[in-house]
Amino acid sequence: MTALFSEGFLLGLSTGFYCLGACLPALLPYMLAEGRNVWKTNLYIFAQFLIGRLAAYLLFAVLATLAGKAGKYEMPHWVLPAGLCACGALMVFLALARVKGEGPCLMKKDLNPFFKRLPLALGFVTGINICPPFAAGFLRLMELADTAKGISYFLGFYAATSLFMSPVLLGTPWIKTRAREIGRLTLLLAGIWYCGRGALELLH
Amino acid sequence: MQTADSIRSKMFSALLYAGLALLVITPVSLALAGKELSFVYPLAWSLFAAATAFGIAYTGRVSGFRRVFFTVSAAAFLFRLKGGLLTGDTLGYCFDAVARNVPYCHISMASFLPERAHEQYIAMKIGYWDIFWGALKLAGVWLLATLAIGPAWCSWVCCFGGINDGFSAIVRRPLIKSGKWAVTLRDMPAALLIFMLLASLAYATPVFCQWFCPLNVPTAFADPAVMSAVMKYALTAAGIIALAIAPLLTGKKIFCAYLCPFAAWQALWGKLSPFRIKTDAANCVNCGLCAAACPMNAMKRSPEGKPEPGAYCNMCGECVSACPRGGLRYTVAGTALPARTGIFGSLFTAEKLHTFAALVLGAAFSSLWAPAAIKKAFELVFK
Repeated sequence: MTALFSEGFLLGLSTGFYCLGACLPALLPYMLAEGRNVWKTNLYIFAQFLIGRLAAYLLFAVLATLAGKAGKYEMPHWVLPAGLCACGALMVFLALARVKGEGPCLMKKDLNPFFKRLPLALGFVTGINICPPFAAGFLRLMELADTAKGISYFLGFYAATSLFMSPVLLGTPWIKTRAREIGRLTLLLAGIWYCGRGALELLH
Repeated sequence: MQTADSIRSKMFSALLYAGLALLVITPVSLALAGKELSFVYPLAWSLFAAATAFGIAYTGRVSGFRRVFFTVSAAAFLFRLKGGLLTGDTLGYCFDAVARNVPYCHISMASFLPERAHEQYIAMKIGYWDIFWGALKLAGVWLLATLAIGPAWCSWVCCFGGINDGFSAIVRRPLIKSGKWAVTLRDMPAALLIFMLLASLAYATPVFCQWFCPLNVPTAFADPAVMSAVMKYALTAAGIIALAIAPLLTGKKIFCAYLCPFAAWQALWGKLSPFRIKTDAANCVNCGLCAAACPMNAMKRSPEGKPEPGAYCNMCGECVSACPRGGLRYTVAGTALPARTGIFGSLFTAEKLHTFAALVLGAAFSSLWAPAAIKKAFELVFK
């Protein structure tokens, strides 16, 4: 198990920049839009995002194991673009729903607390978007075809790639009203972009 | 009433200013364009720039002459580099995805940054520096220009800006007024810049050049995938609307003010330059003429309630010319230079120094295409 954790960790360390490229367009605008110039608040958002991502990774670890056991080594072609669309749609929703000033704000409404865990949801939909290193890990898990080993492997991979994302917290002192407005617009643009790319691949 | 002496003094002063501009621009223009063309064409371009300098110095008004120079430079860019496509000239391709050439366009610089940094990292590891040299040269030129003129790059040098500026000046009474949308979308360039950087990092490709550039028509043609070609055309069409049609409707530089990631990039790094436009609160009567004249929608309210140039001001001088009471002025590091008189003294103002630097850089940079465009136009008309 430890060996597999290390293997996943090393894969994560060696390919962390690719993971950063895949996750940063979602995390950074969100952090700008919703973060505060208070470390604690941003750490909480970051932690929720990571937990959402972890949930997605664990889900894929189980799915990869099941697929490996069943001898199916190919994912349906629509999974990746659909994940991209879901991630984009959530980002657009977050950007449009959280209008500054007197506009509607999800956090102020009397919603079920579950729906307020938006960084968690964003982390999850980002996690189900398969980047090349993730795909490499996924194939390894299919080969292993063992749930416990798969989870151990992906936990290592997750831990290493999460390290690459932690620098987003460095922007904390500069997150003020204007940065939040820029973040919201960036979230909107990135969401539309993800939706467009996903839809394009689905249609293709 | 001007006396004959004062007119003569102004004339000498303007001639001196134009002569100095000619002296600096001509060798650069000859060096950049003279190797492939007859010396006549770069010289003609330098004379045009010097005439602009003369007009500015003689009338004391920057905006109108700047606009003519800037628009002609951008039109020459379009004529030379994009018009050439009609005759099979491959110069029109500003980005070669296969050969991975360094593009000449400054807007792509931010978009290219993550990818180039990664390439440089690899090049360093194998001790091969040449791969990055072109991009380094472009970055070096940009840095020098930014230190000298700051955000004025967008109002004197940029080929996109010139097209946008020219169209925005055509209609005097715009159909669409700058309302709430102008404020809501004010930070769109910064958002686009962050998005472009992140997306370029994620896809390891210059996203702006491939997807959003209004001059991307030839690259979109080259895309064999139908769906992505259609998407590229749609985005390119949106860019062209922002570049040419929206300015006609609003009288504002819509592409530069709301869609150009480089505008945000330059607004950020432009702070390195000492030149600024500042409001002189004592002369300001809050008439709002400066805000109406600003093609970038960059004016904001100061804490005292007076209009002042905001972060996206690109120092075009329109507000300075529009203010009837001299409520806005060019400054160096926030202060106006001491007033001097005489032929030489009148040239040592913040406005003249800034304009000189911006004009020289604009004319030098456009020497990459303008003399060749003059030659082509000459051949078209007379041969």
